[in-house]
Amino acid sequence: MVNKDANIDLLFRNGLKDLEVLPPVETWGQILPVIRKRQKPLLFLRSAALIAVLLSIGFLAYQWSREMTITVIGPELALGEEPVQSPGNTATRRPAQNSRILVPRTDQSDSRIFADQYDSILVPVEENITVADTGFTFENNRIDFRRNFLLSDNNLISNYGLENSTDAGYDNPVVLSYEVPGEKANRWSVTAMASPTYYMNQLQGSDDISKQISSSEQSRISYSGGVAFAYNISRRFSIQSGIYYSTMGQEVSGISSFGGFSPYDYTKGDENFKVMTSSGLIRTSNTDVFLLDRSGDRVMTLYTNDIFDPAKANLSYINSTLYQNFSYLEMPVILRYKLVDKTFDFNLIGGLSYNLLVNNSVHAMMGKDRYEVGTTDLNPFMISSSLGMGMEYNLTEKFSLNLEPTFRYYLNPIGSVPGMKAHPYSFGIFSGLSFKF
Amino acid sequence: MPDIKNIIKGCLAGNRRDQELLYRRHAGKLYAVCLQYSGNDEEARDILQDGFIKIFENLIFYKHEGSFEGWMRRIVVNTALEKYRSKHMLYRVEDIDLIPEPEANPENTDYSGLEAVDLLDIIRELPPKYRMVFNLFAIEGYSHKEISQMVKISEGTSKSNLSRARIILQKKVNLYTGLNKSMVNG
Repeated sequence: MVNKDANIDLLFRNGLKDLEVLPPVETWGQILPVIRKRQKPLLFLRSAALIAVLLSIGFLAYQWSREMTITVIGPELALGEEPVQSPGNTATRRPAQNSRILVPRTDQSDSRIFADQYDSILVPVEENITVADTGFTFENNRIDFRRNFLLSDNNLISNYGLENSTDAGYDNPVVLSYEVPGEKANRWSVTAMASPTYYMNQLQGSDDISKQISSSEQSRISYSGGVAFAYNISRRFSIQSGIYYSTMGQEVSGISSFGGFSPYDYTKGDENFKVMTSSGLIRTSNTDVFLLDRSGDRVMTLYTNDIFDPAKANLSYINSTLYQNFSYLEMPVILRYKLVDKTFDFNLIGGLSYNLLVNNSVHAMMGKDRYEVGTTDLNPFMISSSLGMGMEYNLTEKFSLNLEPTFRYYLNPIGSVPGMKAHPYSFGIFSGLSFKF
Repeated sequence: MPDIKNIIKGCLAGNRRDQELLYRRHAGKLYAVCLQYSGNDEEARDILQDGFIKIFENLIFYKHEGSFEGWMRRIVVNTALEKYRSKHMLYRVEDIDLIPEPEANPENTDYSGLEAVDLLDIIRELPPKYRMVFNLFAIEGYSHKEISQMVKISEGTSKSNLSRARIILQKKVNLYTGLNKSMVNG
C-alpha cells in the first residue's frame, strides 16, 4: 500500500477502506437464532392458541362421547327394567348373579349418604360403567369414592344392590340425584394466581407507516396476578370473578431521544413531540426531551428541521429505544366447565374481563438511569375476552394446584392512532393455589 | 448471483437462505469495521453480532436510496458507539491548549510497507476514547460538533482526543515504516 506524503487521516481512511476480515465461523450461528426468535412470536402465539382450542375441543368431544354412552346405558343402569324410587322407598329390580349387599353406615343420624361414609363398596357389575351425571365411576367392580362430589352437588346414593340375592337383589346400584335441602358444601373457592404473559398488538393497517410501526416494536414479558373467587353453579359449571393486576409493555426502537432540549423549547401547553406506536400516540410530557425518528416518519413535532436543527444545539444523546409501560386492574367474569372430574381435573375456561388503566408511562434508558419521556394515549377502559384450559390437581379435599394456559384478546383498540387500530392479545400460563370452602 | 434488492426482499419475508447470503456477502467488510472500533476480538464479535441483528430488524426501513453497504456500515458504527458509551461514559475533559500539535509528516515518507492489516493493528492499539474520535472524524467524516453529541463530550474534548490520536498514530506509523525499512535494508 502506497500513500506517500498523505496525511495521517487519509492514510488510514484509504488504507482501511476495502479491508475485509472474515469473522469467526460461529458468529452466524449466534445471529440466526436471535433473528428467527424475533420473527417467531406471532407464529408461536397462533400455534399456542390453536393447540389450546384443539385440546379443548378434543376434551369436549371425549366428554360428550362418554355422556352419550351413559345415555344409552343409563336407563338400564339406573332403573333397570323396573321403576326406581327415592330413599326410603323400595324398588324392584332385575335379578342379578353374585350380588352383594352394600349398605351405608347406619350410625349416621342424618339420612344423607356421603362418600366418606363408605370404606369400600363392591359392585356386582362385570364391565366398567360410568355414571357421568353424578360423576361415579365403577371400575373393577369398585366404586371410586375418592371425591366427595356428592357433597358438593347435594346428590345422594341409595338402594345399593343386595348381596347374593339373585331373586330379589339388584344387579346394579341405583344412583339418584336430587337436592338435599339446606346443605351447601364446598360451593366456593378462592384462588391466588400469577403468570408471566407475552403481550402483542395486532395492528390493522397496511400502509408504510403501519409496517414501520409493526416492525420496530418488540413486546416485553409482562406479568399478571391476583385473587379470584369461584362459585360452583353445579358440579361442572362454576362462575369466577376477582381482581388481577396486569402489566404490559413494549419497546419502540429507532426513535432517538436526546436530553437538554428545555432551553430551546419556546412552546407552552401542548406536548412537543408525538410518536406513533401500535398502542397509541406517545405524548411527551418532559420538556427536556427531544425525539427524532432517523429512519421513518413516526415522530410528529413542531420542531421540524427548518425550525430547529438538533445538530446545532447542545443536546445529549440518551438512547434509540423508548419503553412503554401500562398497568391495568382487571376484573374478570369467567365461566368454567369441568371436562374431566378426577384427582386431576380439566376445565374449559372462557369469559370477559373489564380492565381499568392504572399506570401509563414512557421512558428511555441512559445506562441504568431511567429518563421519563411522557405517556401513551391509551383507552382507559378495556374489555378483553379470555379462552383457556385449566388443569387442577387436587392435593386434598380443600386445596388444589392450578395451571391455566390462557389466551386473551382485547375487544376494543388499546389506543387511538389515526387510520390504525391495534387490538392487543396476550398469552400466559397462570399457576396458583386454590382453597375450597 | 441474486441482486441485493431480491436478497433484501427475501430477508424481509423471513427467508433463511437470503438472510445467510446477506450475512456472508457483507460480514467481512463489516467485521473489519468492528475491529477498527474495538480493542479486542471479543468486543468486535459482539458489535458484529448486535449490528447484524439491528440490520435485519431495520431492513424494512431501508429505502433503497444510497449505498446499502453504507447504510449497514452506519448501523454497525452506531452499535459500536452504543457499546462504547455503555463502557466509557465518564472521562475527563482535557484542555486543548495543552495538547501539542501533531508532528508534521516527514517529507517523502514512504508508507509502502504498510498493509491494511498493519493500519488496523495500529488503530486498535489506541486508547478507546482516542480511537473512537479518530474513527468518527477521520474515517466516517463526522464534524466535531456531531461527535460531541454522539459521544457526549464537548467539542474541545473531541478536538483534543483527535490531536492525541493523530500524534500516537503518526509515531506508530513512523515506527512501523522505520522497522520495515531496517528489515529491508538488513
